[in-house]
Amino acid sequence: MVTKLTYEEHELVALVRNKEEEAFGYLYEHYSAALYGVIKQIVGEAELSNDVLQEAFVNIWRRIESYDENKGRLFTWMLNVAKNAAIDKIRSKGFRQSQRQIPLDGEVIQASVRPGIDDYGLKRMILKLKDEQRLLIDLSYFQGYSHEQIATALHIPLGTVKTRIRSALTQLRALMQ
Amino acid sequence: MNVREYISSGIIESYVMGLASETERQEFEANCMQYPEIAEARTAFETALEDQLLKDAISAPSFLKAQIQEKIKSSTNEATITEFEEERPTRRIGAWRWLAAASFILMAGSVYWAIITNKKYQALQAKNRELQSQVQQSTAQGNEMRDDLDKLRNHPMKTAALKGEDDHAYAIVYWDTVSSSRDVYLMINNLPQPASDKQYQLWALLNGQPIDLGMIEVKQQRLLYRMKNVQNAQAFAITVEPQGGSPKPTTSPIAVSNL
Repeated sequence: MVTKLTYEEHELVALVRNKEEEAFGYLYEHYSAALYGVIKQIVGEAELSNDVLQEAFVNIWRRIESYDENKGRLFTWMLNVAKNAAIDKIRSKGFRQSQRQIPLDGEVIQASVRPGIDDYGLKRMILKLKDEQRLLIDLSYFQGYSHEQIATALHIPLGTVKTRIRSALTQLRALMQ
Repeated sequence: MNVREYISSGIIESYVMGLASETERQEFEANCMQYPEIAEARTAFETALEDQLLKDAISAPSFLKAQIQEKIKSSTNEATITEFEEERPTRRIGAWRWLAAASFILMAGSVYWAIITNKKYQALQAKNRELQSQVQQSTAQGNEMRDDLDKLRNHPMKTAALKGEDDHAYAIVYWDTVSSSRDVYLMINNLPQPASDKQYQLWALLNGQPIDLGMIEVKQQRLLYRMKNVQNAQAFAITVEPQGGSPKPTTSPIAVSNL
């Protein structure tokens, strides 16, 4: 099968909507690594990250109808599908149970011995934020807590949580450029 | 609304990264429609984020691609049914299953009916084509027959009956001596089938010399079988020759007829 090197975004979306196999190949080749990077930062463990990437692609494939070009780029939509799948995974009962056994897990012990081994991408970038801002991004983006949950947990007003998260995100953006 | 302030408020980042509340999302989407510069700023951040994440990408294990592809293929096929089972409350699954089964049976029935009807239609069409070609063939044959009869009726032809030993005519030569081309026709009557490696050949005789008039096919659709022309002839003869004929007769004629 010959895969085109590049597609215009609308062409690609049309191909995915028609469930063309070449579109899957293209999506996977171009975006799976970017999505996997984010998934891995949320989920941590490699095997579960594999599961999440699979769920993410199945959802991308099945729910492409709900993607709306007017609301943003295809990658943004895929990223949020992948992020939501990752958050669902760490919120699942099975994951929470397995987390209790973490101290017995060699890999995690190793990570705590060598902190920063997984710090790349967005996580590396939020390390440059102030502690408070980093915590808010970590809780909201990487752990999927709602603003309300964060407000309750940190004993700060909901409005303040919102403002601080927004200002942390603006900082993050500045770091990208 | 102060668009510039709104753009730099962090709402764009919050929206794109999926951290905005439902109300904020709706408001932001409406603002994007109304103010193109907000949509542009959103695209700019989306692109920056995309570039950043593509740069920080980590390849997934290579075996995953085929596994996911397989999963997607089967999920494309089963999507509808699975969604019913996954998303409907438990109590209603029975009803949905029943409905799904009923519609499946209905659908299978319609498909079956469509296939059968289509098969019948195909058969009728084939039959129709066959009849049509038969009619065409018959018409063509009829036309040929009429042409031949016209020739016999309207052209004064010289005839020569080539008879076998029991006086039954093997064939009759019709020689159109009026037309300048002097066409020769042969009507086959009782010519027996020759051995499989032999063929009959028609000759004209002029001053004792045979002139080849062509090979004879015993089985003829036409009443008058067109042979080679000959300008002058005193008699006609048929010999048995090897398949394809000979330049000169190699056997004695089985029939000779003087004009």
